[in-house]
Amino acid sequence: MTTLPLSGSEPEAPTQSSAFHQLHSKIQRWIWRTGWSELRDIQEQSIPAILGREHDLVIAAATAGGKTEAAFLPILSSLADDSGGSIRALYVSPLRALINDQFRRLELLCQELEIPVHRWHGDVGAGQKRKVLTAPAGVLIITPESLEALFVLRGHEVSRLFHQLDYVVVDELHVFLGTERGAQLQSLLHRLELAVRRRVPRIGLSATLGDPGLACEFLRPRQGEAVQQIHSTAAGQELRLQVRGYRRLAPPLSPKEAEARRVAGQSVTPEEVTEGDVSSIAHHLFEHLRGGHHLIFANTRGQVEKFADLLRLLCERHRVPNEFWPHHGSLSKELREEAEAALKDQTRPASAVCTSTLELGIDISVIHSVAQVGPPPSVASLRQRLGRSGRAGDPAILRAYIQESALDPKTPPHASLRTDLVETIAAIELLLAGWCEPPDLRGLHLSTLVQQVLSIIAQLGAVRADQAWRALCDSGPFFRVDQALFTRFLRSLGSNDLIQQDHSGELVLAELGEKIVNHYSFFAAFSSPEEYRVVAGGRNLGSAPFSESLFPGRHVIFGGRRWVVVSVDDRARVVDLKPAAGGQPPPFSDRAAPAIHDRVRKEMLRIYTTTDLPRYLDATARELLAEGRENFRRYLLDEKSIIQYGDRSLYFPWAGDRLMDTMVVWLASEKIEVIREGVALIFERMAPEQVDEQLRKIATEEPPNAVDLAKSVENKVREKFHPWLEDEVLAVDYAAGVLDVEGARAGVSRWT
Amino acid sequence: MTENPAAAPQKLRSRDRDAIIQSLRAGVVPRRGHQHIQVGRADEVKALLQDLDRVADGGSAMRFVIGEYGSGKTFFLHLVRSIGLEKGLVAAHTDLSPSRRLHSTGGEARSLYSDLMANLATRTRPEGGAVPSVVERFVTSALQEAKERSVATRTVLDERLAALSEMPGGYDFAEVIAAFWQGHDEANDRLKSDAVRWLRGEFATRTDARKALGVRTIIDDASIYDHLKLFARFVRLAGYAGLVVCFDEMVNLYKLTNTRARNSNYELILRIVNDSLQGTAVGLGILFGGTPEFLMDPRRGLYSYEALQSRLAQNRFAADGLKDLSGPVVLLPGLTPEELFVLFHNLRHVYASGDPAAYLLPDEAFVAFMEHCSQRIGDAYFRTPRSTIRAFLELLAVLEQNPQIDWRQLLGNIELVAETNPDLEPLEEENDIGPEAATQTGDDDLASFRL
Repeated sequence: MTTLPLSGSEPEAPTQSSAFHQLHSKIQRWIWRTGWSELRDIQEQSIPAILGREHDLVIAAATAGGKTEAAFLPILSSLADDSGGSIRALYVSPLRALINDQFRRLELLCQELEIPVHRWHGDVGAGQKRKVLTAPAGVLIITPESLEALFVLRGHEVSRLFHQLDYVVVDELHVFLGTERGAQLQSLLHRLELAVRRRVPRIGLSATLGDPGLACEFLRPRQGEAVQQIHSTAAGQELRLQVRGYRRLAPPLSPKEAEARRVAGQSVTPEEVTEGDVSSIAHHLFEHLRGGHHLIFANTRGQVEKFADLLRLLCERHRVPNEFWPHHGSLSKELREEAEAALKDQTRPASAVCTSTLELGIDISVIHSVAQVGPPPSVASLRQRLGRSGRAGDPAILRAYIQESALDPKTPPHASLRTDLVETIAAIELLLAGWCEPPDLRGLHLSTLVQQVLSIIAQLGAVRADQAWRALCDSGPFFRVDQALFTRFLRSLGSNDLIQQDHSGELVLAELGEKIVNHYSFFAAFSSPEEYRVVAGGRNLGSAPFSESLFPGRHVIFGGRRWVVVSVDDRARVVDLKPAAGGQPPPFSDRAAPAIHDRVRKEMLRIYTTTDLPRYLDATARELLAEGRENFRRYLLDEKSIIQYGDRSLYFPWAGDRLMDTMVVWLASEKIEVIREGVALIFERMAPEQVDEQLRKIATEEPPNAVDLAKSVENKVREKFHPWLEDEVLAVDYAAGVLDVEGARAGVSRWT
Repeated sequence: MTENPAAAPQKLRSRDRDAIIQSLRAGVVPRRGHQHIQVGRADEVKALLQDLDRVADGGSAMRFVIGEYGSGKTFFLHLVRSIGLEKGLVAAHTDLSPSRRLHSTGGEARSLYSDLMANLATRTRPEGGAVPSVVERFVTSALQEAKERSVATRTVLDERLAALSEMPGGYDFAEVIAAFWQGHDEANDRLKSDAVRWLRGEFATRTDARKALGVRTIIDDASIYDHLKLFARFVRLAGYAGLVVCFDEMVNLYKLTNTRARNSNYELILRIVNDSLQGTAVGLGILFGGTPEFLMDPRRGLYSYEALQSRLAQNRFAADGLKDLSGPVVLLPGLTPEELFVLFHNLRHVYASGDPAAYLLPDEAFVAFMEHCSQRIGDAYFRTPRSTIRAFLELLAVLEQNPQIDWRQLLGNIELVAETNPDLEPLEEENDIGPEAATQTGDDDLASFRL
């Protein structure tokens, strides 16, 4: 473990603080009773800012930095004497689990202040919702999807429910930036203001950000400069790091041998059919994490299942109670809540093996350390994960486990550079330097605009085209969509039978549009594949996408346990399991990994071209890094970016995914066949000189129009409602959301 | 009807004049004085008059008044309503909206009923709010009868209400009327007002109703039509001829996005149509006002509901100017240029409070105005007089305040604007965010958008 220091500052005692005295006396009393000796710096700043109600506000601080209180102490303070009339504070949060969590935290405080707190998401019962509808008051905690459902199903009640709204709070603001859900949230908040006919101050709570200006811009589109920012200066946390390298090893028994042993009636232990490196990682995790509270992040749901299963087997073998719980989006609510409850319980050791589901701020008190299997998806996500550990003054601890394949003479150059390890080192170096990816707000989000147009029609029954444009685009968050594009966009919806027009010119839902809007899946801006429910002994375990590999008799790992499939009901979409030994996780539909940022690739290049060994690498990782650097030099990649490999040429632009994808599309439009593999672009049957000439051409030529380039891309359907848009409209969306022609040109020029 | 302008040189009271002008300028139908401005549609009015007579006779009637936006449906309904009041009927009207529907489970139907009852009008109370006076009249006549026959008032009440008790919801209805009488008898205003609140559908829970009045039911979403039928019988018992109910803006049902919710509403309409065709709703006339889409759209209009389509389908021979007003559907024809001419004449007359010396425009201005409108929006202005009337009254207003200006100068400046949904208009403070966006693109493009 390597220890690295970060900086910090001194807070004031509450009695000396002027902010403290601005709070309502009941809140002051509550703070005294809770025994806080001081307000945190962000709270000191946020209290006057929020009580003033003049500005929108972004509060950025690490997890457990007191953001929730920074927003709610002043908000509740202003509601303490009168919290009725309508919903007074709306709190939007990305996860149900997070809502339940915040609800419990706020409930205690609010009970004392006699301010009603309501939660509203898919798992909340009709009775609780009715209470909100009949007597709207106090605080409402809700997901964007449920807020959407309010607009669609109770459009005419929105203004009644919110007419006295004082504050909108967006929790975990950073997860919304640049996403479909983010565009949906912006649109909903804008429509809410239109419904209540006035601006409502917005407060965004965010993790520490690469570029806080972008978060402000997101929170109040086109008026980001007017948004106030509060940054936590108290980040004085020690950081302890280790990156462990592993060489991939085939399982002791091949599938054939294992089958033969089984047929012969001999037993096969799980380890004998598990890859050697995976077993070693599991053993290391077991030995070092046992007996504490930890989070183990894996990049896919299948990996989560695999490790959860191996760790559980190790517990069984050592005759200790299982303390490793799987947690990912395909598991049922009960299983996930079980894992969360185990993590919160300080009396017994418990660790979760999870995907990004536990990256967000669900309050799980003390987490001793964080493990990361495989390269982290991004620097931002690494920082977020790291923030989960070492609360309450302890150091934050991160162990990263990186697997790299064995090399042989046939391994192509780009696969021998140990990119996973170098990428991980690059991410850590950037993290230590205080950098993380800025969100990409360039997208048009036409898919979400489809949803919002349908939703606004459902809300009001009918809407005129110019009104919809003024509400959503001209004055709203889709301001990059001009009238001409909106006209083509609406025609797409019309020709796909989503909308139609009545005699007065108002747009109403057509047959298909109505079907889409009436289905519960409409409320989410992102797509989720049709999945089968996975059940064992009548208990709901979760869901898995349909696949050929789920058939009766097949052994599977699910929820960190081993099962055999009893039956598959295709009509009810249910897979029934019973306990068994052995198996593989079902093929989950994981969301695509986020694009690697340009800066990370540049950092990788820097690591290849320097010689210093980071202190946090273990012996194998050092060897692997040395191998990677050696191969880098062997192929002369420090001198040139294009090398020959058989009858192909490999081009290493050391640029971000977005730029590399743009290069591929650009070259394809010039009739040049290029394939992207990892960090390299592969030109079949072309000599380096020819490639060089092509790239020079690109670097000097007048760049093509991005929309024209996008038209040459065959499949542009990336988001949920894209299938209803015609090709030309999709091309505009693709050009804005995926391509970066100027960046690609600059990237190419760097090397030619 | 004032078909001939020359035949109407009567003076107007300024109260009537102001009510008419202010309503029309706001684009809404005036509550009074319809006879001063009504033109055309004589056959349709006649057909509806027959309906009213049938209702007053204890029969039932039901009509769908169908016309384009702004074609005068609401005006027509109000005209019929005011004639109904003259004939001794009780009238109620309401506009459907997303929060007021015929059928619902979330309180929208009860809210529709409450609105109807709040607008309940009689000849002496044409502005609405007549529920207490209707009940009062019933009770007073019962008291009188009790005195004449020297029996207990409660006996007379029970006798009279016996017929109601057998209908669905009738028992509690009778109990509430009895409670009103009790409040009247004991000078208990609280009890009286609770009874009226119950009748207006303002009790939201059974517990409240039980505490206040001792009845176990309330008028809720599921029972509004039953209560309309009860109320129709009741007004006859109170000495009125019957009840006319106008449901306007039915297009809101067509706009319902939820297929199930829409069909449940159409199901209730089918019940109303069936009851009326079979004559089982005593003394009840129901008028629906809606657009052609609401009726005829094959996918989400009334015609999408098979049973309604077969009952409401148009007479196939009634086309090309031939009318059949014996069916339940009345299609409001557009105004002819001649009728429009008369309308302008009437408006000028009303504006001048009926004094020909105070006319602000000569007759020739009408023709010029019509030509101008025709150039601006084509022949739509014949079909949809609402915006034309507004523009005309605005012209008169300017002329009145600026007598030095010649009307010909003003004609070119008249704008005929489409109405917008105020809920979606950008907030004022946001108008100054995107000046580039606002200037580079005019709204003309999308305002006339066609799929």
